[in-house]
This record gives sequence, structure tokens and C-alpha cells, in this order.
Amino acid sequence: MNRKEYLERLEQLLLVLPKEEREEALLYYSDYFDDAGIENEADVIRELGSPEEVAAKIRAGYAGEYAEYSEQGYEDARFQNRQEMTAAYKEDNAEWKDSVYEAEREAGTGDKKKTKAKNTNIWKIIAIVLIILIAGPVVIPLGIAAVAVIFSIIIAILAVVVSIVVAIGISGFAIAFAGLAIVVAGIAKMIFIPSVAVLAVGVGLLLLALGIVVSWFMISLAVKVIPVVIRGIVRLVKAPFRKAGAGK
Amino acid sequence: MVFNTGAALLDAIVLAAVSGETEGTYGYKITQDVRQVLEVSESTLYPVLRRLQKDGCLDTYDQEFAGRNRRYYRITEAGTAQLNLYKMEWKIYASKISGFLEEKNHS
Repeated sequence: MNRKEYLERLEQLLLVLPKEEREEALLYYSDYFDDAGIENEADVIRELGSPEEVAAKIRAGYAGEYAEYSEQGYEDARFQNRQEMTAAYKEDNAEWKDSVYEAEREAGTGDKKKTKAKNTNIWKIIAIVLIILIAGPVVIPLGIAAVAVIFSIIIAILAVVVSIVVAIGISGFAIAFAGLAIVVAGIAKMIFIPSVAVLAVGVGLLLLALGIVVSWFMISLAVKVIPVVIRGIVRLVKAPFRKAGAGK
Repeated sequence: MVFNTGAALLDAIVLAAVSGETEGTYGYKITQDVRQVLEVSESTLYPVLRRLQKDGCLDTYDQEFAGRNRRYYRITEAGTAQLNLYKMEWKIYASKISGFLEEKNHS
């Protein structure tokens, strides 16, 4: 291919452009050949590349903002960048893309999990409604009975605890009184049998002391323990309702 | 070259190559001048020159040379302003990059 053939081919390839654009480009390249000199004609043709390549660059340049210069020359971003990404660029992006796809995949499965959970929730509600409708006549009275039983057990335990505490406290008082009575009786008998009387007074005083200690202990126990027990029972009774509330 | 040359940098170099010639210059010479600093294919520059011409940064005139008409390019006022902008921007960019590379290299 010589200069004449080259420029003719280029002219054909540029027929899609307006006349002015085509003539401008052909003038430039015929000047180029002239200035390079006839002796360099073959070099210029080799350097320029095929008329097809040159025409592509001219058309891309005419297309304007889509053309972008890079080491590979002008590229039309609309066509080439998508198809002709260099291998290096692809490799650089492969890892990043993978991670993006993975994240997307995860996000996708996450959504699926959510809808799954919603579905099971709906099924749960339906199941509960069915169970209530079918088993309600049996379960509801049973439930009420169970609650009543639990309540009575709690009250019984409370009553037992309170009565034990109160009983021991009262026995403490009784012991103290008994001790006091023995002391008084001992003092009264002092004149007749002093040895027995002294023993009685001693035992009575011991009993009085023991009674006071037991009473004191049981009173403090009652003051400290009973509110705790009551609070515990209240919490125990409240617990199922609070759980039901938290479940929402 | 390892680094890609962006369109703006190529414009700047072409404008500089044309502005260096007070009596105007022509396609073949511009290409040879630019190829001193950039590895560009010989067919790269026509679209750049054509675009700069359309943008009003360059204008052309024909003058007889060796018994034929040769198309000359010269820089316009707008082109000179554009070139000065590019020069300023490049100075900032280049010193930023070199400074950063040096600083990180020595620390």
C-alpha cells in the first residue's frame, strides 16, 4: 500500500463523517506524508497503523466527549472499554468484584432469611389460633385450674413460712415469759428451799434470755425475710406476663 | 511509560508544543515534538488537534511551502489561557505527588 492508496482507503472509511470533517482529516494526513518525505512513506504508513485504525480514531475524536486518550491511544468509552478491558485491569478488579458479589449474595440470602422468619411467624400465629380454637374448651379451664393451683401453692408456702416465723417468735415470747415466771416462783420459794429456788431462778433467767434472743431473731428475720419472699413471689407471678410482653 | 496520560495532560503538551512555535507549526512537527516526551502513536494527535481547534484553543492557516500548501497551527488567546491553567494545575499536581512519594519513601 502506498500513500495514494492509503489516503483513498481512509477517505472511504471517513465517508460517514460530514464533508468538512473528512476533508480536514485528509488534508492533515496528506500534509503529514508530504512533511515526512517520500523516502519515509513506508515508515509513516507502518507508524500510523492501518487506515481502519486511523479512521476509527478520527471518528472517535469527532464523537467528542466519549473519546479518551490512554497509553493504547484513543478509545471510545462507549464501545471499547466494555469489551477490551485489559487483562491486568480485569485481574485487579476480580478480587474487588468477588467481594462485592459475595456481599450482594450475603445480602440476598439475608433477605431470604428475613422473609423465612416472617413466614414462620405467620405460621406460628395460625397454629396458635388453631390450637386455641380446637383445644380452647379443654385447655382454657385447665389453664385456669393450673394457675389457681400455682397460686394456692404459693399462698400455702407463704402461710407456712409466715406461721413458722410467727410461731417461733411467739414461742420465744412464751419461753421468755416462762423464764420470768420461774424466776418469780423461785424468788417466792427462796425462804423454804433456797437451793432449789436458786436453781429455778437461774434456769428461769436462762430461759428468759433464750426467749428474748429467739424472739429478737425471729422478729428481725420476719422484718428482713418476709418482704423478700413476698417480692420473690410477686416477681414469680409477674414473670410469665413480662415474658409475653417481651415476646412482642 | 507506566503512567497513563490523561486527555487533559495530552492537551497541555500539544498546546505547549504549538505555543513554542511563534510562527506556527504543522502536524508532522507537532507529532515529532510531542513524541520527544510521550510515547504516542502518530495517529493519536490529529483528533486532539482537531478538538483543540474546535474548542478555540488553536486556529489554522494555510501557507505555501515548497510549492504546496501546508496547514499551520497556532495558539489562540483562549489556548494560551488554557495552557497557563494547565501549567499551574500541573505544577501543583506534580509537586504534590513528588512530595508525597519522597516523604513516604524517607520516613
